[in-house]
Amino acid sequence: MDELYLDNIDEFVNDHNKIVTYKWLSLTLGVHVNTAKQMLYHYLEHKRKESSPQLHATYLVSGKLEDKGQTCHKVSVVREDQLEDFKSKMSLIVSIHVYSVHKALLKDSGPLYGVDYDAVKDNLQSCSRYSAIRCANAVPVSAVELQQVQEIQQAPSVPERTTSAVNGNAKPSSKPQRGIMGMFANKSAPKNQDNSKDVKSEPKEDSSMTEALKSKPAPKSGPMANLFGPQTTKKPDKPVKKEQEAQLPIALEPQHQSPTPEEEQQPAAVQPQKEAKTDSRSKTKRKEESDSEEEKMGKKKRRRIKRPEPDVSDEDIIPDSPSQVKISEPSPKKEPEYVQYSHVSSETKIRKRRRVLKSRNFLDEEGCIVTEKGYVSESYSETDDDFQSTKQAPRDNIKAKVTSSSKDNEKKTQKTSSASSNKGTKQASIMGFFQKK
Amino acid sequence: MTTLTRQDLNFGQVVADILCEFLEVAIHLILYVREVYPSGIFQKRKKYNVPVQMSCHPELNQYIQDTLHCVKPLIEKNDAEKVVVVIMDKEHHPVERFVFEISQPPLLSISSDMLLSHVEQLLRAFILKISVCDAVLNNNPPGCSFTVLVHTRDAATRNMEKVQVIKDFPWIVADEQEVQMKEPRLIPLKSMTSDIVKMQLYVEERAQKT
Repeated sequence: MDELYLDNIDEFVNDHNKIVTYKWLSLTLGVHVNTAKQMLYHYLEHKRKESSPQLHATYLVSGKLEDKGQTCHKVSVVREDQLEDFKSKMSLIVSIHVYSVHKALLKDSGPLYGVDYDAVKDNLQSCSRYSAIRCANAVPVSAVELQQVQEIQQAPSVPERTTSAVNGNAKPSSKPQRGIMGMFANKSAPKNQDNSKDVKSEPKEDSSMTEALKSKPAPKSGPMANLFGPQTTKKPDKPVKKEQEAQLPIALEPQHQSPTPEEEQQPAAVQPQKEAKTDSRSKTKRKEESDSEEEKMGKKKRRRIKRPEPDVSDEDIIPDSPSQVKISEPSPKKEPEYVQYSHVSSETKIRKRRRVLKSRNFLDEEGCIVTEKGYVSESYSETDDDFQSTKQAPRDNIKAKVTSSSKDNEKKTQKTSSASSNKGTKQASIMGFFQKK
Repeated sequence: MTTLTRQDLNFGQVVADILCEFLEVAIHLILYVREVYPSGIFQKRKKYNVPVQMSCHPELNQYIQDTLHCVKPLIEKNDAEKVVVVIMDKEHHPVERFVFEISQPPLLSISSDMLLSHVEQLLRAFILKISVCDAVLNNNPPGCSFTVLVHTRDAATRNMEKVQVIKDFPWIVADEQEVQMKEPRLIPLKSMTSDIVKMQLYVEERAQKT
């Protein structure tokens, strides 16, 4: 190996005042990482002998560390001045090598990441070209194989969906959760997944679920179920739901980048959709709502993919029609508009609705009209608005559907809404966050 | 290929937003790297996909935000020539000046979808350069404070005085003492050229700091 590399590194470090990490060096010079590490080491030694302007270095130390009786394998980037100290703490040192060389003394490790970022990004497809980590089994799937797998996944999903629609009420235990999940969350119902995954997801779902909780269908049921596992209260539903939705788009994003078979199903599943809302409650109205909800969810989901922020309330309002903005305000709306957008309103209030799953259960027995009101009134109560405003909203609905029974229902809803508003006082502080929107 | 002119205010606002976000991160980072404030108030956060140090102190953050809020309209109209972060010693004599020279081309042309990610990459490089500026600068004396100066083109400040952007946050004309520095040494740090903005960062350092 000629000595040119010393000049190269010298130029980078001294003239350009760069932070030279071994990874950056290997990508820049096109050499194996171990060669780069040795280059840096020789350069350091060379410069230190010459006693030229002071250079600083960081080292990567990996080895075994005894920590309170437990042995763990620790890999750390340490500054040179802390190196000896760190080495003495380790029980067994597996490897030490130079991580980076630079003129400035770095106060924190942030820039070390930033340095490699662009170099790795430019070489994203082959960033492990010079790496020392290899796995013989890890071979990228060829395009042909990928297509085959996709076709296989899509083919069974179509018949599965239709059969599940028929059998919707047959499996109450796992379906309720799936139905709810299908409404809110991931469009790709578990039925679309492999059978093996279904088997896995069902026991997971059953074990981790309470009535109010929903877990995501597999494959997301794994991490999500753990999320829900310890939770038994219904209140954390909403923030957890937000997390789900946030994780949803984040999880869905990779499907655009690196299509794997299961992830490919999701966009396929998103579109034809409707079956997934097999409601365990088997309320026809609910089903209709959920149908339209899911459409909206689909739209929102796609939007969320673009903007994967946990704060959904803005997204609820912005992508949908402007009238929905009014719906979220505690003011009486025009009846036809209100009725027309009742589906939409319940959709926009998906987040809030999740919070008040309990109340939804109450309203089931009372009929479809009441359920709509139930959603509305309780969403208002969640935002801790005046109780009078909740009365106004149901009244608007009543004008549209004039029946005497509806007034009875109204009273009941007001009772339930008062009940929920009492509970809502506890939730008010959390919902107050939404109110500020 | 879209060609927008400066009259397209929306785009001007976008550019101003990008620059002000960047300046906020840069100011925080300068305060961290030059140890103007103790490092305990800083917290690692993410910007442009790299970790940066931002302060948690609410008043400091508010001050920086208010400052940039006032600077933003100047950048929108391309009136701001330079934004300078001045670090001063106890006697309020400047010891270091981080100068961001900003210029925007009159005819903005967005040539590709990659524009913003390209700009992000360039700004990332700025952040990185500020992180290592320690190497080329001497240490500051203890007890330093900082301020932000804006050099504007023409008479833009007259408009600023007329319309006070934020109440109780007045901008005053800087006095000579803060602007001029004795025996400055110029150290260029980074420069960038992109479709939407041209920026240069250099440091003027006083030869004798203590």
